Amino acid sequence: MGVVTSPNVKRKYGAPSFERYSWFFMRISGLIMFLAVTFHLLYMHMVVKVENITFENIVERWNGPYGLLWKAFDLSLLLLGMLHGYNGVRWSINDYIHHKGWNLALRILLYILAGILITAGLAVLINGPGDLR
Amino acid sequence: MTAVLESIYRGITYRGNEGHWAWILHRVSGLGIALFLSLHIVSIFLVGIGPKAYGWVHATLYVSPPAKILEVFLIFGVLYHAANGMRIIIIDFFPALGKYQRLIVRIELVIVILVFIPAAIITLASLF
Ligand code: HEM
Ligand code: HEM
Repeated sequence: MGVVTSPNVKRKYGAPSFERYSWFFMRISGLIMFLAVTFHLLYMHMVVKVENITFENIVERWNGPYGLLWKAFDLSLLLLGMLHGYNGVRWSINDYIHHKGWNLALRILLYILAGILITAGLAVLINGPGDLR
Repeated sequence: MTAVLESIYRGITYRGNEGHWAWILHRVSGLGIALFLSLHIVSIFLVGIGPKAYGWVHATLYVSPPAKILEVFLIFGVLYHAANGMRIIIIDFFPALGKYQRLIVRIELVIVILVFIPAAIITLASLF
């Protein structure tokens, strides 16, 4: 599913390939995210409640006694979610866009977008909250 | 463009019953969550700018009435994608369960709906 096979690639059936690792990664990341996303959603909805998630509330978590733990958790969600989600988008592009040029153009756009979002997510975790009013 | 529409059309009209619909919904929900995650990362990035910027995104993207309605779709998407993804993972690693595929898809849907209904009610209750 979601694999553009090139007739030029000479590889033994079942031999390790990028697509094989990506298939495996989708399962491992899905398994971890099943727990992580469930925790994230339950915590934000049932413990904090969405209307209480203010700027101060997030700062309290990030700069509190367990700040590093929260940031590590957010980091894992960020990397797993982005790589899993955007790899899924890449699969979908490969399934529907068969024109070589458009396929490549869309994937390059996707990689740039993924790079920007991962950088933005990392930046806020590293720099912490801002004070621009 | 027509080639793209054609391949999507073939994807939808292929008749594979439960497994096929389960797959379409898995793809649509996955793409939807990826879209939400992109907006979500931008919104949390605003915490790095300051209270005013984040306050604005919190009011519009998380607690406004249209946001609450979209959130119901997000909750359904995450619940379904997570449950169906776990089914895919379990059957891939324990292929012997494959012969119960149809039954497992139905059990999965019942679980998703049973969790979804109270979650949706709680989410929409904040509108009133
Ligand atoms: C409406 C539902 C959601 C709410 C209210 C919510 C709330 C939040 C909040 C308040 C933070 C800031 C971190 C913190 O306070 O510890 C955060 C971060 C994050 N959330 Fe969510 N979340 C929701 C759904 C999701 C979903 C479905 C995902 C999917 C993977 C997700 C992925 C993330 C990631 C990756 C971060 C870290 C972002 C960064 O490093 O910039 N969230 N979320
Ligand atoms: C909550 C736990 C999750 C589990 C258990 C899970 C599981 C999976 C699995 C097993 C696949 C591969 C399906 C296949 O090979 O056909 C997959 C695909 C995908 N996932 Fe997830 N996933 C989870 C969360 C997420 C999140 C948070 C996102 C978005 C950021 C996402 C987006 C996608 C996309 C776009 C695909 C590709 C769909 C396709 O090719 O049809 N998933 N997921």
